[in-house]
Amino acid sequence: MECAFDAQNLISISLRKIQSSRTQRGGIKLHKNLLVTYVLRNARQFYMSKNSLQTQRRPPCEDAAVVRGRQEYLELSSSFTELADDFYCNFTGVESDTWHCGAHQPSAQPTELARQDASACAMVPSDSDLMVAEACWSCADKSSWELPIPNTQANQKTVLDLDTHVVTTVTNGYFHSDCCAQPKQPQAGAHCYTGKRKMDTSYYIVDPEFYLPDLVPVPFKRMRSEDEDDGDLQSDSEQLESSNISNLISVLGSGGLSEFVSWQQMDLEQIFGSQTICLKQTLLAGSGWTRAIEAF
Amino acid sequence: MAGKRKLSERPGGGSGDVQWCFSQVKGAMDDDVAEADIISTVEFNHTGELLATGDKGGRVVIFQQEPESKNQPQCRGEYNVYSTFQSHEPEFDYLKSLEIEEKINKIRWLPQKNAAQFLLSTNDKTIKLWKISERDKRPEGYNLKEEDGRYRDPNTVTTLRVPVLRPMDLMVEASPRRVFANAHTYHINSISVNSDHETYLSADDLRINLWHLEITDRSFNIVDIKPANMEELTEVITAAEFHPDQCNTFVYSSSKGTIRLCDMRASALCDQHAKLFEEPEDPNNRSFFSEIISSISDVKFSHSGRYMMTRDYLSVKIWDLNMETRPVETYQVHEYLRSKLCSLYENDCIFDKFECCWNGNDSVVMTGSYNNFFRMFDRDYRQDVTFEASRENSKPRSVLKPRKISTGGKRKKDEISVDSLDFNKKILHTAWHPLDNIIAVATTNNLYIFQDKIN
Repeated sequence: MECAFDAQNLISISLRKIQSSRTQRGGIKLHKNLLVTYVLRNARQFYMSKNSLQTQRRPPCEDAAVVRGRQEYLELSSSFTELADDFYCNFTGVESDTWHCGAHQPSAQPTELARQDASACAMVPSDSDLMVAEACWSCADKSSWELPIPNTQANQKTVLDLDTHVVTTVTNGYFHSDCCAQPKQPQAGAHCYTGKRKMDTSYYIVDPEFYLPDLVPVPFKRMRSEDEDDGDLQSDSEQLESSNISNLISVLGSGGLSEFVSWQQMDLEQIFGSQTICLKQTLLAGSGWTRAIEAF
Repeated sequence: MAGKRKLSERPGGGSGDVQWCFSQVKGAMDDDVAEADIISTVEFNHTGELLATGDKGGRVVIFQQEPESKNQPQCRGEYNVYSTFQSHEPEFDYLKSLEIEEKINKIRWLPQKNAAQFLLSTNDKTIKLWKISERDKRPEGYNLKEEDGRYRDPNTVTTLRVPVLRPMDLMVEASPRRVFANAHTYHINSISVNSDHETYLSADDLRINLWHLEITDRSFNIVDIKPANMEELTEVITAAEFHPDQCNTFVYSSSKGTIRLCDMRASALCDQHAKLFEEPEDPNNRSFFSEIISSISDVKFSHSGRYMMTRDYLSVKIWDLNMETRPVETYQVHEYLRSKLCSLYENDCIFDKFECCWNGNDSVVMTGSYNNFFRMFDRDYRQDVTFEASRENSKPRSVLKPRKISTGGKRKKDEISVDSLDFNKKILHTAWHPLDNIIAVATTNNLYIFQDKIN
């Protein structure tokens, strides 16, 4: 339990680091953020596996208070889990069957992870900071990796694209445009991620926040009028990067992680009303330059 | 070179028979460190006469070694300030609304061809070629100009004379001769001058470009690891260097702990490596931070060109270019930090990029650590030693006392416990004189110079 909580800590610390990197002088450090996402992935994997194990091992008869505590813990945990899930899966277009991309791995993956046997946990003899107990990193138990993740229901989030002012709903990694903040905005979101990405059996870091498009214009146009040629659909990976950046920012917002957890329950009007979220200012300003500031 | 002891005259020339002494310290003594004064790179030139430092404020300070005194032939000359100039200024990328830091990431000297010295300095985006030249004479007796530079009325010129050069106080001038810009989207981490003395490479997180020193408006991209889909990005380039002798060969290291050796003769784009150096991960050491600590922060060829050295967070590894499967030597720099990785992750220290360097005859390697410690590893004698760069040990010619870190149990006298290490005091940049036992060690904002004791 303590190790799972430490994994949660790592997840929140990692996301804070990524959040703060956006305001660092000199721009986002690609190398550092890549490494942070590795930690995020590892912590998330561990946390999800522990969660599954605990769910399985729950004793039949328990004290009500203990059960309540565990439920609260799981709720808190699940918010962090969702946070990590969103971080990975929302902005990569990962296929729905790999929604729980951090924990579910194809058959090839456990082979790699099986190298991490239980003795790996003994790496840190005494530091309580580092999730030392032998139960922590018992990746040798392959079955734990194959267990279904508890939160398997469809996950929907409202995402505001800062560049196009299009509000979309993300369902299991797919974007569907719901409505637009401005008129004459067709359902361009449906055009995104039309191509299914091939499942990569090796771990990859998928933080679009790190994308620094080479020469992408700041006001990236995702929506088109109906008259436009279909061939103008964005196929440029750099434009995709920009949309990913926009989406990530719209979800993470500027209010920090505490806002993110509660974000999913807020509808768009509440989002606009929040003083701590500068998206409103961005929308009202409609300035590409301001948008770029938000992005980076 | 009277009084100059060559490394080849000493067996090994390494830490086994060397007593290191404090020589000089440069920089402010204040505990309050201005961010602009933080040293970001240190580099000796090819003769060791000049020592350049770059800082976060974009300045370059060059120290010159004084000639040895005839009165004290056994004493090496001190390093004094030779030139100071502002290399880079902060810039703003209006397209991306990004500020570009002026911090000097790397300095590399060019081999000297004439009286002037040349160096390359780079920040995150732009590389500059600087010419440092001396002026100790000035012309006097112009016909059309007064001594103060004002032009004379030609009607007042009644005689002609030949201007003559007269001695003046030595003036060192630094002038930018070339600016190599707009070639890197990502942050430049390395520059390396080729052995042909005509080209050099610059590396950022995802690409390596080849430049000609005379041509600033174009460069050749020789490595590009940017994936078509950035979501598939798994590693970045962390360092790159040309081979010291083979002008067609260079290496680059990655955040995954691999080193790729490339041959530019094979193809124009060296995405396919000629050799891949990688050591399998020890599964017993697997942790949340395995990827971070395996990321290579520096790679350096030996002077001989047969070996290369890599630095990751906890260790230094020596690789034989003829063996790709594992390093031939591995030295643990501060293994006691393995149990502290979580804390180091929280305070960002785990992302520190330590550099490493070889001594002149490749028998000793050196790298920095925390608490202003730096470590030397003697490859011949298989010895290692830890020293501290501190003002307390800065009496002239005082011998450095080896430091020991207590890793557990009872702490012996004079040992320092791991918990009392100061992680804000770190030595990231070190340099070794190419021909002599003189080292330059940069703490946060001070430059320490140590040399071996001359008996």
